[in-house]
Amino acid sequence: MSEAQLFEGESQEEIHRPLMEKVVAICFILSVVGTIGLGVTYWLGGQPQVEGGFLFLALGGIGVGIVSWGKYLVPQGPYVQERHEMKSAPEDIDAMHASLSRGLGQVGRRKFLLRLLGGAVGVFGIINLFPFLRSLGPVPGKSLFVTNWKHGSELVTADGRVVLASDLEVGGVMTVFPKGFEGEPTNAIDQVILVRAADYNLVTRPGRETWGPQGYLAFSKVCTHAGCPVGLYEELTQQLLCPCHQSLFDVLTGATNVFGPAPRPLPQLPLYIDSDGVLRSQSGFNEPVGPGFWERGA
Amino acid sequence: MKMGKRHEGKGRSQLTWLVGSIASGAAVLALATIALYPHQSHTQALVSAKVAPVSKKSAKPTAHASSSGQPIVYKNPPRGLIPQGRQLFAEDCQTCHGPNAEGSVRAPDLQGLGAGTVDFWVATGRMPLADPTEQAAVKPPRLSHEQQLAVSAYVASLAPGGVAIPSPNLGLANLSKGESLFAENCAACHTITAAGDELSNNIYAPSLWAATPTEVAEAIRSGPGDMPRFGPGTFSNQEVDDIVRYVTYIQHPEDRGGLALGGVGPVAEGFVAILIGLGSLMVAGYWIGGRAHE
Amino acid sequence: MSTLEERAVGAADFADERLGVAKFARNSFNKIFPDHWSFMLGEIALYSFVILIFTGVFLTLFFVPSQHMIVYHGSYAPLRGQKMSEAYASTLNISFNVRAGLVMRQIHHWAADVFIAAIVVHLLRIFFTGAYRKPRELNWIIGSSLLILAIVNGFIGYSLPDDLVSGTGIRIAFSIILSIPVIGSYLAFFVFGSNFPGTAIIPRFFIIHVLILPAIIAALIGAHLAIMWHQKHTQYPGKGRTNRNVVGIPFWPAYALQAGGFFFITSAVIAALGGFVQINPIWLYGPYIPYKVSYAVQPDWYMGWLDGALRLMPSWEAVFGPTYGGHMIPNVFFPAVLLPGITFGLIFAWPWIEKRFSKDNQEHNICDRPREHPVRTSVGVGILMFYIVLFLASATDVLANTFETSLNLMLWTLRIMLFVLPLVAGTVTYLLLREMSQLPSIGEPKTPVEIRRGIDGSFAFGELALHEVDEEILELPEEVAYRSLVGGNGNGHAPHVSEDGEERSSEVGDEHGVFEVPRD
Repeated sequence: MSEAQLFEGESQEEIHRPLMEKVVAICFILSVVGTIGLGVTYWLGGQPQVEGGFLFLALGGIGVGIVSWGKYLVPQGPYVQERHEMKSAPEDIDAMHASLSRGLGQVGRRKFLLRLLGGAVGVFGIINLFPFLRSLGPVPGKSLFVTNWKHGSELVTADGRVVLASDLEVGGVMTVFPKGFEGEPTNAIDQVILVRAADYNLVTRPGRETWGPQGYLAFSKVCTHAGCPVGLYEELTQQLLCPCHQSLFDVLTGATNVFGPAPRPLPQLPLYIDSDGVLRSQSGFNEPVGPGFWERGA
Repeated sequence: MKMGKRHEGKGRSQLTWLVGSIASGAAVLALATIALYPHQSHTQALVSAKVAPVSKKSAKPTAHASSSGQPIVYKNPPRGLIPQGRQLFAEDCQTCHGPNAEGSVRAPDLQGLGAGTVDFWVATGRMPLADPTEQAAVKPPRLSHEQQLAVSAYVASLAPGGVAIPSPNLGLANLSKGESLFAENCAACHTITAAGDELSNNIYAPSLWAATPTEVAEAIRSGPGDMPRFGPGTFSNQEVDDIVRYVTYIQHPEDRGGLALGGVGPVAEGFVAILIGLGSLMVAGYWIGGRAHE
Repeated sequence: MSTLEERAVGAADFADERLGVAKFARNSFNKIFPDHWSFMLGEIALYSFVILIFTGVFLTLFFVPSQHMIVYHGSYAPLRGQKMSEAYASTLNISFNVRAGLVMRQIHHWAADVFIAAIVVHLLRIFFTGAYRKPRELNWIIGSSLLILAIVNGFIGYSLPDDLVSGTGIRIAFSIILSIPVIGSYLAFFVFGSNFPGTAIIPRFFIIHVLILPAIIAALIGAHLAIMWHQKHTQYPGKGRTNRNVVGIPFWPAYALQAGGFFFITSAVIAALGGFVQINPIWLYGPYIPYKVSYAVQPDWYMGWLDGALRLMPSWEAVFGPTYGGHMIPNVFFPAVLLPGITFGLIFAWPWIEKRFSKDNQEHNICDRPREHPVRTSVGVGILMFYIVLFLASATDVLANTFETSLNLMLWTLRIMLFVLPLVAGTVTYLLLREMSQLPSIGEPKTPVEIRRGIDGSFAFGELALHEVDEEILELPEEVAYRSLVGGNGNGHAPHVSEDGEERSSEVGDEHGVFEVPRD
């Protein structure tokens, strides 16, 4: 027998299953129908559900057809094949060792040069960190320690409207910013949640006797856990809930963290009401706002 | 060619295949066309309209706001309902709230809260209260609409102040402003899709999907339960109207992507991806790969 | 030969005359792939990745990766007139104005979710069947790296639209980077280009998401497949299956058709999801504004374990010194940096951890039945339970709302379950498996018993002969022919079926020894 003839023969055998052939044919035809439908849908302007349905038909038809062909119309065997160990033959391994050692012997003996090379490459690798890290942004400096709240900052809404002492009902809540900075990117850090817990002066903690005029309490809205805005004011129970990980802060004791993962209370902004009835801050916060970082302590 | 031999005698069935596929293709085309056109125009109308149609539920007998040009009109119920209200209050409310709504250990003082506040609680069915140990839940109202107004009128007559019954004029509302205000003030509890969610200590912010415009406005102004109170110093009437308009929108939101999965976002999506997406593919894989051979 | 065959043979000759591929091609065509549904899981991941590339390219043609704020005047009325980033506005554009845009976006997002789900179940299969053992430790490392990269790329991807929900996630990411001791604040400012939010993060995320990570992922997938191709796939024990052979279907045509078809089926299912089930409706969320937030904000499912860890973690913080001048390891460092570090460290190290205890340095090409390895399986189940509880913990509020229970109760329950469930599940698994291993005929086909009732009412019992698995293991005819043509000792033996791992071909110097499959 010729070489080519040796290889022919059995592999040409076909599996004859007319029903399965019909199934495969129907699958492909359904697929074409789906594709046509897809084209028409697209031409008419498109619609997501219809597109999805026709895509399912188009792709599924081809898929089920091809799989059925590959499972039912083609010999499945099972066939066996030798699997040799990954490890090479001993003489190959020895040859590899020999070649490797040959090179290493010529290079490795010059230890001093090798160390210098290592140093050069290592140092160059480190210097590469600078454009890929240091150039990306500024060092934090004092940014994490300060906000734009100062002595006398007027409280304004996001629209810039100044907040008066008569604005909030008892049980009311508002998000406020220092005047002039409400439209700045720093509003992410400056944001303060203003609640009116009562209509008399509230003292949340010793030393904060003047901080809560007429029941107005202001806290940093940036959660001390992971920085989400603490927007939920539970007015009856006088608590602030952070929506991200459910940290709970007790308003009347200075937003003390009472439940959930938040490790510290929300910093309180000391307020006063000026002669025009405008709410203002006495000063900035007495600690950094937001989540913790290495450079701050308690 | 070789193929011809095998297909001898199959010419007629090939024709059948061809005709059948063209017919089914045409049928699908027709269906697609029918399915597409009305849907498309509906979507177009929604996205291009500045103000979508107002929900039917807002048409209450006392709503006469459209003629006034005001975003919200506040009215007390007719004084003639007060005797009926007194009667109803004595039957259903007095045991907890006291004979003059002055409150008791079981229930708060209702004097000075206004008709709108009371109307919110009875119209949503929260009052009369089903379970005093839990947050008052929405349920089918015990009182008819007229009875609700009567009770509200009676309580409002006991002391001045509070919120009268609001009638938002949605035709004057700005949907986009409403979205922005809702995202800033309401979404933190109710979620941005107004699906509602669980807060701390067994309190929850309810879903707003069944709330009427009047109920929403009443809730904003009166701050029921743990909900904060947003008075005129916080929101103008126009702003309340805008928020109400957004709530009516989010009750029938643009869901052109398909099944909305309850509007709770990635939680539901994850379940679908794993159980339905990966699950059905693993079933397909079971078909293709089969089981182990013993 | 038919015209198709003629053309194909002509093309193969063309390639061989220029690249010398005949041997490689023949080995590829004849490569045997074992058949089992659990071997298809990695394929689901591979095909999902292809869909991601395909739909992703489409999206890049429309997405604007810029945080520059504009006023929206597009077709979605509820946001008209609002300020938003160009990134968000371009995503609205894709969703409302680009034909087929929304279905492409949704297919892309569903494919990402399914991609990572498939990687995880594939990882679990590899773990529970011990397929990470020698010689496959390399592929275990590559696969675990792919898991990390896929998760990171998914997070970055769904953060690109800069919507209210994903933007909150970016804020949390900033805080997590910030929490790293010593370098955290510097790293956070470098990555974001400033304090939060800055204007650099979306453009940087974009290039990481569409170029850097997909390139690395594609390269690693290539290596993963090449190594698997070279080492041949593992197989389950069975008749005729040994550590030194592989029994299954040939790559060409059976496996190629089945695998190729599976690609289309995967695409079909994901496309159906993309059209019928809404995912990430960013228009409902609105643009990201730092002082706005929604409730029920979870990350996509594959980040859920991190979110759950953040919620379950008690409010501890390591503090050294006063506010100004002191130092702190913040709370989020432990669940969001330390925990993932330990998790992935454990995953990477697992093959060597097991080797330490099993002292097994043999080559393993047969998959274990999970029940045969009670220790590994129960440890795996326990650790898996730990992460399942973390996933559930991500949805505390939604679960509490669905089941109308207290959030506080849900949190405490999950905190306790986090430690109790893994112990319970692992112990129960171990005890069950130990019991099972003591049953003599576990897993064996049971001998059927036939009960005959006679006409007189008497009973007769008899054991039937075991149904013989009517499976004759064949060899590919070209392999037999090839061997007889060029093979050495001409004894015409079937491939070696011995269990002995040290057997080598006797034809040492012959390139085409009978017992060797010529190398690629």
